[in-house]
Amino acid sequence: MEISDESAPPVRQEDPFEKEIRAVFQDTLGLIHIALVAHYGLEETEATELEKDLYVWFVRFCMRPGNRSPKESRPFLLVACCQFAREYQRYVVGTGVRGTDEKLSRILDREPAEVARDFSTSLELLSYRINRDA
Amino acid sequence: MAQILRFPRRPLAAQLPAGVAVDSARKYLDTPIDARSDRHQSLLGNPDFLVALCGLLRERAESSPSTVAEESAALYQWISDSSAPLGLFDERDYFLGEAALLVGRTLRHLGERDEAELWLDRSEASFRHIVNSGPLLANVSYARLTLRYEERRFQEVAELVPSLIKSFDRLGMKLESAKARFLNAVSLKQCERSSEAVGILDELRQDQAVANEPALLGQVLVEIGEHLSVEERYVEATSCYRQAVPLIKQSNRPLALASLKVSLAETFRRQELLDHALEGYRSALADFAELGMSTYVAYLHVLVSETLISCGRHREAEWEILAALPTIEEQKMVPEGFAAVALLKESVRRRKTDPNALRELREHLQASK
Repeated sequence: MEISDESAPPVRQEDPFEKEIRAVFQDTLGLIHIALVAHYGLEETEATELEKDLYVWFVRFCMRPGNRSPKESRPFLLVACCQFAREYQRYVVGTGVRGTDEKLSRILDREPAEVARDFSTSLELLSYRINRDA
Repeated sequence: MAQILRFPRRPLAAQLPAGVAVDSARKYLDTPIDARSDRHQSLLGNPDFLVALCGLLRERAESSPSTVAEESAALYQWISDSSAPLGLFDERDYFLGEAALLVGRTLRHLGERDEAELWLDRSEASFRHIVNSGPLLANVSYARLTLRYEERRFQEVAELVPSLIKSFDRLGMKLESAKARFLNAVSLKQCERSSEAVGILDELRQDQAVANEPALLGQVLVEIGEHLSVEERYVEATSCYRQAVPLIKQSNRPLALASLKVSLAETFRRQELLDHALEGYRSALADFAELGMSTYVAYLHVLVSETLISCGRHREAEWEILAALPTIEEQKMVPEGFAAVALLKESVRRRKTDPNALRELREHLQASK
């Protein structure tokens, strides 16, 4: 019988599927950050915290039955991003912690799915440019 | 668009690597419900654990429907009753929908159709609030159609399933699409549109998605075998069954295996090989009983009884009828076969079993099996 002489616990190999999810998330992170900070007006630290949540959610989301590949699930990541950002800002503004301005009010009035669609279009344009330049 | 998110929400449970979550879920399910500790219960608050638990329950839905129904209903209740936030964003609704769908699917196998429908309503109500609800709502629609099939509403299934197939195809859900096409085929067969049904079954036999799913391929072969058997092409039918046996056995689907035994027994019966037929029916009956599928057990008792009468074993046939009748009546299995049931009861009481009433009852049951 083969006996392992390892003294340290084995390092967990990342599952290829999780690796793919991570790669897709990393690719989308720039756009997510822009959405959170530039469009929804979150502070940098708030955005960073939200991004961590989004990643954890996206990993489990991709494992749901019937969902397509992580790459094809990217538009739903953006929907979740916009939904969460809107709910967060509404909460913060509603509790009086932060004031609002016209730009923020306008985006908070829009349906997150609609905002996410605009971002998805940007994503498609970006990937088109990357593919064209490659 | 529906409100999906509630705020503020933070990750409340430590992340579990997938392998650890699956091990924990397996141990959780191996522990009897009444022996579970607070530590076990606390695992339910961890979304990674719940992903693994739902995965295992899905895997076991066909082989242990009563356990899965019980576990999934308990899970749904726990999530509903819990006031603590669960997971991130839409995850509470997602897990509620999954648990309810599992209960609905498994209760259908157990013959509890009204309850199954209510659970599918619950599932749909939860899935409506999640991100990308399309694939999961399509799965609920599929479960609803299988329920209609059980209720013998074959025309409705044949009418509605093509639209669902389109949805699955559009969503890229190849296996689900194949399963829906299989449902289409078996419904068409019941609507006496056998040539269309066989055409679909032949396509499925060649389908790549089906080839990767031994249990489904096995069921396709059984259906083709049944068709050949009806046409008295017994050698070809037996060849189909022979190919189906290892596929179904390897996929651990006791329900499909029991159905295969019934098909084989029917082929023997058509060939007047009554002892072999009896053996097959009884073996299938034992399998269905083990799975807790009382309506199927009742149907098998009727088949055994008919075969025993053909063998001239009338007394034994009466016992089989007496074993079947309580379930047939309790579960309202043949509302339109009420007269046949009454006639049969009376004939058994007089110890002169009426073969015509028995045949009529079997025909009603056969259509709903």
